[in-house]
Amino acid sequence: MTLAAASHGFLTPSGVEIAFLLVGLVTLGAAVVTVTTKQLVHAALWLVVALGGIAVEYLLLTAEFIAWVQVLIYVGSVVVLLLFGLMLTKAPIGRSPDADSGNRWAALLVALASAAVLVWVVVDAFRASWIDLDGAAQGSTEVSGRSLFQHWVLPFEALSVLLLAALVGAIVLSRRGGEDTPDGRAVPGNGHAAAPGAAASTGPDSARREGQR
Amino acid sequence: MGIPGSGLAKGLAVTLRTMTKRTVTEQYPDVQPELAPRTRGVIGLFEENCTVCMLCARECPDWCIYIDSHKETVPPAAPGGRERSRNVLDRFAIDFSLCMYCGICIEVCPFDALFWSPEFEYAETDIHELTHERDKLREWMWTVPEPPALDPGAEQPKEIGAAQKAADKLAAQQAKEAEEARQAAAEQAGTDQRTKDAGEEA
Amino acid sequence: MSDTLAIVLRVLAVFVVFLVFPLVIGQTEHKVMAHMQGRLGPMYAGGFHGWAQLVADGVKFAQKEDIVPAGADRKIFQLAPAIALLPYLLVLIAIPVGPGNAVGQALDAGVFFVLAVMGVGVLGSLMAGWASANKFSLLGGLRTAAQLLAYELPMLLAAASVAMAAGTLSLPGILDAFHWWWVPWQIVGGLVFFTAGLAELQRPPFDMPVADSEIIFGAYTEYTGLRFALFLLAEYAGIVVLCALTAVLFLGGWHGPFGADGLGWLWMLLKTVVLAFVVIWLRVSYPRLREDQLQKLAWTCLIPLALAQIALTGVIKVVIS
Repeated sequence: MTLAAASHGFLTPSGVEIAFLLVGLVTLGAAVVTVTTKQLVHAALWLVVALGGIAVEYLLLTAEFIAWVQVLIYVGSVVVLLLFGLMLTKAPIGRSPDADSGNRWAALLVALASAAVLVWVVVDAFRASWIDLDGAAQGSTEVSGRSLFQHWVLPFEALSVLLLAALVGAIVLSRRGGEDTPDGRAVPGNGHAAAPGAAASTGPDSARREGQR
Repeated sequence: MGIPGSGLAKGLAVTLRTMTKRTVTEQYPDVQPELAPRTRGVIGLFEENCTVCMLCARECPDWCIYIDSHKETVPPAAPGGRERSRNVLDRFAIDFSLCMYCGICIEVCPFDALFWSPEFEYAETDIHELTHERDKLREWMWTVPEPPALDPGAEQPKEIGAAQKAADKLAAQQAKEAEEARQAAAEQAGTDQRTKDAGEEA
Repeated sequence: MSDTLAIVLRVLAVFVVFLVFPLVIGQTEHKVMAHMQGRLGPMYAGGFHGWAQLVADGVKFAQKEDIVPAGADRKIFQLAPAIALLPYLLVLIAIPVGPGNAVGQALDAGVFFVLAVMGVGVLGSLMAGWASANKFSLLGGLRTAAQLLAYELPMLLAAASVAMAAGTLSLPGILDAFHWWWVPWQIVGGLVFFTAGLAELQRPPFDMPVADSEIIFGAYTEYTGLRFALFLLAEYAGIVVLCALTAVLFLGGWHGPFGADGLGWLWMLLKTVVLAFVVIWLRVSYPRLREDQLQKLAWTCLIPLALAQIALTGVIKVVIS
C-alpha cells in the first residue's frame, strides 16, 4: 500500500475502480432489499446477492483466497442453513406481513450505528492509502496465510477456542434435550411438517454444524 | 460376516459380472420371439367340428363368445324313416377385448372345434375390431401348430391307449384263434397218424 | 490480439466440454446401466445402438410446454435451473487437463474456488424446492439442504488434506507437486472426497433428496421441458466435475506411467472416464440410503476418516520435510 500519490486521482478512475464502485452499489442495494422485502425467502436470496457482491469486491482487491472463502462459507453454507431453517418454518410464497416487528426503528438505529462504527474504523485505518493492484497480489493465499499465522496467530487461536466451545456446547445441548424429553426433537407448530426422518435426524447435526462455524 | 465391506464388494461384483453376460432383452419387432409350444395367442375355430352345443359360450367366464344358429331338417336317411334335425352355425364370434385367455372354452369343447394358436399380433386401433368373426377365427385355425411331441416316458394319450387296448385284444384273440386252429390241425394230423399206425399194425 | 484469441479459444473449449461430456456420460449411463441389469438400453435413436438417444431426449424436452405452477414463486422458479447449472460451468474453467498451461484459467486458490462454487449449485435445488409450491418439492429441498450441510464438511477436509500435502491451493500447483506414492498416502481422503461428492450431487445411493418412490422427484417435481433438462444436465455436468476433480486431487491428473508430455490429457481423460464409470456402477449396485443412514454415514464415518487423513498427512509431511 502506498499513499495516494498524485498519479491516483479521484477524477480519473480506472476500470477496476469503476467496477468496484458499481459492484459496491449493487451489494448495498441487495443488502437494503434483504432487510426491507416482505418475502422471507426472497430476503435470504437477496442476501446471497449481497454476500456474492462482497466476494466480488474481494476479488477486485486481489484478495482471491478471502473471496472464495466468502463464497464457500457464506453463500455455500450459511445461506443454505438459513434456507433450511426457513423451509422448516411456515414461510409462505408471497408476502408475510406479520413478519414485520415493532422494533424496526430500533433495529434501524442499531444498524446505522454499527455501520457508522465500521465505516469510521475502516476510513480511519486506511485513510488515503492506495492498494497497488498491478504489482504482486497482496491478497494471495500465501500472503494471507503468512500474515494470519505470523501476526495474527493469537486471535486466530482464540477464535478457534471460541468455536470449539460453541461446538461442545451444541453437542451438550442436543444431548441433554434427548434425555429430558425422549421425543423432544420434533419441533412443535411447524407449518411444513417435514419428513420425521429428515427433520429429526438433521436437527442435532445442523446444530453441531452451526457450532463449527 | 467376514471383512467389513465385503458385502459392498460382492454387490459391485454382481453388477459387473452381469454386464459381461449376454443380455436377455427380446428385440421383438426386429426379431420374432421364440414362443413356448403351447402359447396362448389367439383361439382358432374348426367349424366343421362345431355342433352348436353352446358349451363354450356358457362356460366362458367373460361371456365373450357369441353363437347364433338355426335348425335345419335333414331328409330321412332311409326311405320311410323319420326326418332328422340339426343345428347350423350362423355366427361364431369371440370378443378378444373381453377374453382373458383362460382356455376354458377349448377345454370344454366336446368335439375339438376350438384350438389355441400362438399368433399374437392382432392389435387393433378400434376396439370393435377385436371381435373376431367366424371367418377370421377360421383363418386362425390354419396357424394352429401340430401338437407337440410327448415327453419321453410320458403317459400315453387316453384315446391311443384305448385303441391300443382294443388292438391288443383283437390281436390276442386272433392269436388265440390261430393257435386253436393250429392245434386242431395238429390233432387232426395226429389222428391221421394214429389211424395210419393202427392200419399198419393191423 | 493472440491473447484475446487464446482466451476465447479456451472458453470455447471449456464450453464444448461442458456441453459434450455430460451427454457422453449420460449415454454411457444408459448403456452401462442397461447391460448391468441384463438389458440392452436404447437401441433406435441414431441407428447404431441408440447413440443419439440423449440428443433425441433434448429435442423432446425442447418441444415441451414450459409450465410454471399457478401457486409458484415465478421468478425464483424460473431462475433455479440456471443457478443449478452455471456453477459447474465455472468450475470446469479451473480444472487442469494437462501439464503446463493446459487449463482454462489457473487460479491461486483453485481448490477453494472449485469447492465454493460447487456448493453454490445446491442453491438452485433449494430455490426450486421452495418456489414450486409443492410439498414433495419442499421435502426434497429440505433433504438437499440437510445433505449438503452434512457432506460438504468431509469433502472440504479431504481436499484440505491434499492441499496440505502439496503446500498449495492451486490445482496445477498440486499436480506439479504430485508423486505416485501420494495415491496410497491420500487414498482414504480420496474415498471420502468421492463419496461426499456423490452425496452432494445427489447421485444414488445418496439420492434421498430426489427419492422417486417417496417424493416423486424431490425439488424438481414441478419442472418440465427445458428447465427440467437443465437440472438433469447439471447433474451430469456435476459428475464430470466431480470425477475430474477427484482425478486431479487424488489420482495425479495428467501424470501417468509414461508419455507425460504429449499424452497428459489422455491420462486425465482416462481417469475421469473410469471414475465416471464407477459413479454409474455404484448407482446400479446399491440401494438408496435412508435419510438417517445418510446423516450417520457423514457425521460418524466420513468426517472422522477425513480428520484422520489430515492427521496422517500432517505427520508424514513433517517427517519428510
